[in-house]
Amino acid sequence: MTEFMLNGTPVSSASPDDTPLLWVLRDELDLKGTKFGCGIAQCGACTVHLDGTPTRACVLPVSAVAGRQVTTIEGLASDAGEALKAAWVSEQVPQCGYCQSGQLMTAAALLEANPSPSDDEIVNAMNGNLCRCMAYGRIKAAVKVAAGRGEGQA
Amino acid sequence: MSRLMNPDLSRRRFLAGAVGGSCIMGLGLALPGCSPRGAVESLAAARPDATFAPSLWYEIDGTGATHIFITKAEMGQHVGTALARIVAEELGAAWSQVRITHVDSHPKWGAMVTGGSWSVHTSFKALSQAGAAGRQLLQAAGAAHLGVPVEACTVAEGQVSAGGKSVSFGTLVSAGLPEAELSAEALDALPLKAPEARQLLGKSVAALDIPAKSAGEAVYGLDATLPNMVYAVPLLPPTRYGSVLTRLEDGTAGSVPGFLQTLRIDDPSETIQGWGLVIAESLPAAWKAAEKVNAEWTPGPTAAVDEAAILAEGTRLADDPGEGVRVVDHGEIDSVLAGATRTLSAHYRTASALHFTLEPQNALAHFDEAGHCHIHGGNQWQSLILPVLSKALGLGESDITLHQYALGGGYGRRLFGDQMIPAALAARALGRPVKLVLNRDQDSRFDCVRSPSVCRFDAALDAAGDVLGIDHGVAAGWPTLSMAPGFLAPGLNDSGRFDSFSVSGADHWYTLPAHRVRAINNPLAQKTFLPGWLRAVGPGWIGWGVESFMDELAQAQGVDPIDFRLARLDGAGTNGGDGPANEGGALRLRAVLETVRERSGWGRSLPKGSGLGVAVAHGQERGMPTWTACVAEVAVAGDAVSVKKLWQVIDVGTVIDPGGARAQAEGAMLWGLSLALHEGTAFEAGQVRDRNLDRYTPLRMKDVPELDIHFAESTAFPSGLGEPPLIAVAPAIGNAIFAATGKRVRDLPIRLS
Ligand code: FES
Ligand code: FES
Repeated sequence: MTEFMLNGTPVSSASPDDTPLLWVLRDELDLKGTKFGCGIAQCGACTVHLDGTPTRACVLPVSAVAGRQVTTIEGLASDAGEALKAAWVSEQVPQCGYCQSGQLMTAAALLEANPSPSDDEIVNAMNGNLCRCMAYGRIKAAVKVAAGRGEGQA
Repeated sequence: MSRLMNPDLSRRRFLAGAVGGSCIMGLGLALPGCSPRGAVESLAAARPDATFAPSLWYEIDGTGATHIFITKAEMGQHVGTALARIVAEELGAAWSQVRITHVDSHPKWGAMVTGGSWSVHTSFKALSQAGAAGRQLLQAAGAAHLGVPVEACTVAEGQVSAGGKSVSFGTLVSAGLPEAELSAEALDALPLKAPEARQLLGKSVAALDIPAKSAGEAVYGLDATLPNMVYAVPLLPPTRYGSVLTRLEDGTAGSVPGFLQTLRIDDPSETIQGWGLVIAESLPAAWKAAEKVNAEWTPGPTAAVDEAAILAEGTRLADDPGEGVRVVDHGEIDSVLAGATRTLSAHYRTASALHFTLEPQNALAHFDEAGHCHIHGGNQWQSLILPVLSKALGLGESDITLHQYALGGGYGRRLFGDQMIPAALAARALGRPVKLVLNRDQDSRFDCVRSPSVCRFDAALDAAGDVLGIDHGVAAGWPTLSMAPGFLAPGLNDSGRFDSFSVSGADHWYTLPAHRVRAINNPLAQKTFLPGWLRAVGPGWIGWGVESFMDELAQAQGVDPIDFRLARLDGAGTNGGDGPANEGGALRLRAVLETVRERSGWGRSLPKGSGLGVAVAHGQERGMPTWTACVAEVAVAGDAVSVKKLWQVIDVGTVIDPGGARAQAEGAMLWGLSLALHEGTAFEAGQVRDRNLDRYTPLRMKDVPELDIHFAESTAFPSGLGEPPLIAVAPAIGNAIFAATGKRVRDLPIRLS
């Protein structure tokens, strides 16, 4: 039994301690917005915030989040998060959309730590998130728009 | 070919179906007993639940909302938005009142397939006509309501208006509209809007699927659940075909909480061979248990096959001028080659490449109380997998429904829903809903790989280096042969049947005195794996050889690569186009090439180690061309190639949605770059070697070059965009590397070491 805060609400998981958080979120707690891509921490589709830090849920045992704050795309409500979601729409970012929860979570952590990142800082922060549809140009543009320093390209 | 796989929508019966209406009405013409006065009187009570369904493709409810039914799969191309715009344009609906529904499989939709960049092209006319027919009915009803002549009315923004008065679609539908039935001839006779009168098409639009995808709310196949379902993970055999599961025991899996059982899959359709499943109450439990069960196989006959063997077989076949189904054959190429002053020959090869959809293959299957099979998951070609499922399950196709979801990447992988088979067989065996999920490694092993390929070119040159003719042998595994053999096309002169998807692009638009194309199936590829259609399909790898070899020929003649191409893009004979879809022919390719020459500053001097390269492509098929020309600027330092900028000029005919079109072009161009430099794997011991992101490495954000994308202004018939901009990128890069270094690269992915 692991107890933690999920999107601001206390929850508990009955899954074995070594169960990756991703499956606890998706299948036990029924929050499907966090996605499964690679299972080896290399695509970023499963990115959530753990005490505010972007973290790959596919390789994180649920026991590791005991007593901590987990935020998923469903609970992304910070100013940066809201600005990013709006920019994702205004820049028409998603193609298939499957990577985008993870992209948004990584971008939100970036803007929360660095409200006005340079182009290089954006690329460095986002480079670990694979977009198989290769919507990279719009992802980058939308992060800039959300940071208040970009003109859109869509 | 595309026509074979798509319903001829225009021939589909235009359905009647106004709820509450009883009059049969020809367009704009009231029949006896259905007078305009009667229509006015029936407007008494508004009925929000009323429905007006003048076509199979949409219905309007009593609130005026227009619900458009989308039979195409949404996989990032925002297809529902594009198709809905076509209907809404002619219907005169208010865009804010348009809703889309991705429908489940049903015979009434006819053939269901999403691929080949065909969706807009093949749906445009029928959806336009369906919209126009609805508009005409609403206009007549609106005129009656307003008490004005039909000709006095205009229809726009969901309103019928005349002389300052107007009535909404919702009001008219609530009142009940007369039923109507239209013949194919009547539909054909409907007036469609002139391009300059269009309100929606040609303008950028916010795609209807994007808000949910920007909030983690889109529902993909992997997200589907049913009460009481269990999870299944496969135990994959050592080869795709012919392996026999000789031992399947629980081993120590019983110690894993939630483990339920193992299950052997016997598939009467023989699509799935040698699979076992591990069944558990959760996915992590199933994966953990899978490591503890005992499974053994007698490997199939291809267990030792590797990439080199497949390529060697392709080379052997392509090198034999007697091999191959003749697809193009004019000008006596054998004697031209024999009599030539000089010949130039080259092999171009491409390595195995994976779809790597970010959402791995999965399916949720369930039998209801009546024995009807329901399968939940994203799929691109329902009409292809339904007969296979029917055979696997011993059920009629009408006893199976495929429930559609958003696709977490398609790129051609989800044209074949083969993973649905073990899910359905397991659901029947267990009497419970079964959710089958492949992990990433398994998704790669079970991929329908883009076949390794070999192109052999032999060109005959005269003393001045001018090209007298080309023989081109194209050898690869053929997707269509395994998955849809009925669609193999007849070759010239009874030379056999061939997979047009595995030779398209070799039938290019350059005018040559003699030209032969030989389509060759590589049987070793065919039996080692299931060859797949990967984004841009044949042209995606054939274009690599065709356009690189064009550069070699330009070089041999000492002519600028663009001038060399322009000289052969003269539109002579059938290269001038032979129908409305390819009107203009090679002259349109010429035009985009001239434009990209200007935009890229072709001919300017560059630093040492840098170069510009060019390539053109005509999209997926001669019958439905999208004309593209690409210039790449590269810098080469040692073995490292970096692409600085890509220019592409695209003539896709009418652009339905400029923003969406650009998104498709961006994605496709970066796919072209990724396949050129970043992706590629190899068969090793009968399996693909690189199965996860630690070894299979698609392009990332830091690898993205500057893109300059330009669409030609055109009102020509719309073509497709999801794939064509991919094709010319790799050869443009290869040609740029030659310009930068003098080194000719002939293998894809490009490796200079
Ligand atoms: S699924 Fe976690 S990083 Fe890919
Ligand atoms: S939008 Fe499809 S993977 Fe990123």
